Amino acid sequence: MKKAALWMTLLVLVFTGCSGGSSSGKNLSEDTTAQKNLPVLGENVKFDPNILINDGKPIEVEFWIWDAEEIFQEIIDGFEEIYPNVSIKLVKQPWQDYWTKLPLALQNGSGPALFAIHNSQHENLINYLEPYDIDVEDLKADFTGVEGHVIDGKVHYIDYGMMTGSIFYNKDLWQDAGLTEADIPETWDEFTSVARKLTKTDGKGYITQAGFNYNQDVKSIIMGLNYQKGQMMFGEDQRTINMDNPITVENMQFLIDLYEKHEVGSKDFGINDSESFGQGQSAMVYKWGWFYNALVNDYPDINFGVFAMPAPSGQVPFAYDRYNGESTMGISATNSSADKELAQAFIRYFMSNDQAMKDLCLLYSVFPAKKSLVENDEVKNHPVMKTLAPCVDRLIWPGPFPGIIETQMQQTFEEIIYNGADINAAVRAGNESIMEDMKGSEFVSTERRYKYINEL
Amino acid sequence: MKDRAFYLEKIFSPKNVVLLTLGLFYALFLVFPVGVALVGSFHNWNPLRGTFDFAGLDHYTRLFRSPLFWQSLFNTLYFSVVVIAARLVLGLGIAYMLFSKMTKARGFFRAAIYMPVVTPLVAVSFVWLWLYNPQFGLFNQILGTRHNWLFDRNTALPAVMAMTIWKDYGYAVVLFLAGLYNLPKECYEAAHIDGASAPRIFWHITLPLLKPMTLFIFVTSLISYLQAYLQILILTNGGPGTSTYLSSFLIFDEAFVKYKFGYASAISFVMFFLIALLTSVSFKITYFGGSRD
Repeated sequence: MKKAALWMTLLVLVFTGCSGGSSSGKNLSEDTTAQKNLPVLGENVKFDPNILINDGKPIEVEFWIWDAEEIFQEIIDGFEEIYPNVSIKLVKQPWQDYWTKLPLALQNGSGPALFAIHNSQHENLINYLEPYDIDVEDLKADFTGVEGHVIDGKVHYIDYGMMTGSIFYNKDLWQDAGLTEADIPETWDEFTSVARKLTKTDGKGYITQAGFNYNQDVKSIIMGLNYQKGQMMFGEDQRTINMDNPITVENMQFLIDLYEKHEVGSKDFGINDSESFGQGQSAMVYKWGWFYNALVNDYPDINFGVFAMPAPSGQVPFAYDRYNGESTMGISATNSSADKELAQAFIRYFMSNDQAMKDLCLLYSVFPAKKSLVENDEVKNHPVMKTLAPCVDRLIWPGPFPGIIETQMQQTFEEIIYNGADINAAVRAGNESIMEDMKGSEFVSTERRYKYINEL
Repeated sequence: MKDRAFYLEKIFSPKNVVLLTLGLFYALFLVFPVGVALVGSFHNWNPLRGTFDFAGLDHYTRLFRSPLFWQSLFNTLYFSVVVIAARLVLGLGIAYMLFSKMTKARGFFRAAIYMPVVTPLVAVSFVWLWLYNPQFGLFNQILGTRHNWLFDRNTALPAVMAMTIWKDYGYAVVLFLAGLYNLPKECYEAAHIDGASAPRIFWHITLPLLKPMTLFIFVTSLISYLQAYLQILILTNGGPGTSTYLSSFLIFDEAFVKYKFGYASAISFVMFFLIALLTSVSFKITYFGGSRD
């Protein structure tokens, strides 16, 4: 019997592996002082640090993110300073892996207590999200845009800010081409003319510097261009994707013409628009707010500026672009009640902490949803927000549509640009694919809540 | 009491415990998941939303109507045939050269040739991603071109194949080399006495004797390449458009991007039967060729 038990133990060890669990390595001590005489933070959403977490007993949880670890670590450090019994281990996963691992980890109960959310994954995550233990009215008093997130009187996450796109330009290349601030284009015709001036070729006719580069990110710019011309993403029922329309075809042709007719760039030059801009190969790119900080960190030598999306004519367009809400973190519904208690306290700490909110907004160049930050000087003077402030009223939010729509759109546009597919046929096929993928989705668009919808 | 202890000792003998544990392990981690996937292929199954609604044969009829499924299947077969053929030809050719008494520094070449095999595929793919860059990639620098290898539907899949061949041919070299060292010397001595030329010896003695090894490399390669997806994920992400989708990449896309586990399971089962069929056919062909002994 002993032999058998030994064999059994050996086999179990072989098959299960001998690894232990992960730990932050922080020495946790029991918190015996509830009343710390620390001030209560926040105006309406409040965080009271004078309440014990987990009855003061040591507790450790994970917080998954895909980016911005420095800021999140600072927030965690501030929180852990209050509670000696708490450890929040920050785990960074690459973006691509994040959306494969997180939903499955949450589903099998091995996920983190806290995690960053992107609203394109709303439908995959919502079943595993614990509602915030914060009164919705308090949230509404402190934040804008809370209404769109209320489900059965509760929210599972809200927006801490709104991000949109703009044109990033290389100031040195701009100057080399003899352009000045006065040449910043307001219409797409002016934009094309400027892009031509910024384009350079070698003796063989190969582009050595692209005036404008949209490689790898056609989907984002097309959605913005469509909104400018009043073309909504979804049909009247606010559920059916409406990519197959003459405006999409027209805008796609415009982008192709930029490369093929006006020769301001090429599908084969600077295959990744972000990297190409960072390396000084492309003079202009269309990117969303996150790109500002990416440039500052990854390409510190690039001297760049930002201007708003040009419009079809000199008139104010129906809308300038699309925007998306950047979400606050989620709490796992499948973790233990002690984990949830800690996570709820952390959320309150984050939501009532103006400094943390501001840092995050500045990092991603997003307009803060927190009302107390709207008039903040640092926010108002941030280059991206300063540039986009006059247009912010005319941005459309289509709602947290499933990420598969963007993926499918990008594939469709690649079929057209790289594989030479007929635009009409490709757009029709792409639309059908999205409809197939959206079967069973409960998504309802919010784009018809747009303030100027009656102008259509 | 003594009898009971005796029987317990018999029942829980090390052999029985090992067999039982292995049986349980495979039942739990192989048979059960495969069974769940088979049942799941007849359902609209999204584990994240908790849906598991009976769909009958819908997924199977949908996939047979789907142009993307057929395109990915064609790409998979094209990829597999070319890469396996190149692996076998290169592997045998280089192994034969290394086997030759004229070749010096065999140990060095063996190590150098095998090095890409032990290098992680992810690392190799990222290096080749750079090599294929139209502006500063090595291949374009050598050719004096600006070709966008991975974003041209005519060259994207061949470019992935080239990388895969470079990465994997060393595996075949080492196996063929082992096969060559184990061939019976008497056959060669007899051939030399009969005055057979080197090409005749190769075609009529070496190649037939290497048939079992060739079959082994072919079948393991077939199973491996019909499931290839990592190099696609890194080099092209299935693009441009969907032009480099392989079946396994399509399964990954449906399961872990769209979370359509039911449809992904249906594709998996079609692939399972295809691999089983092709493996069986290759065994049959080889046996009919008379190399069973």
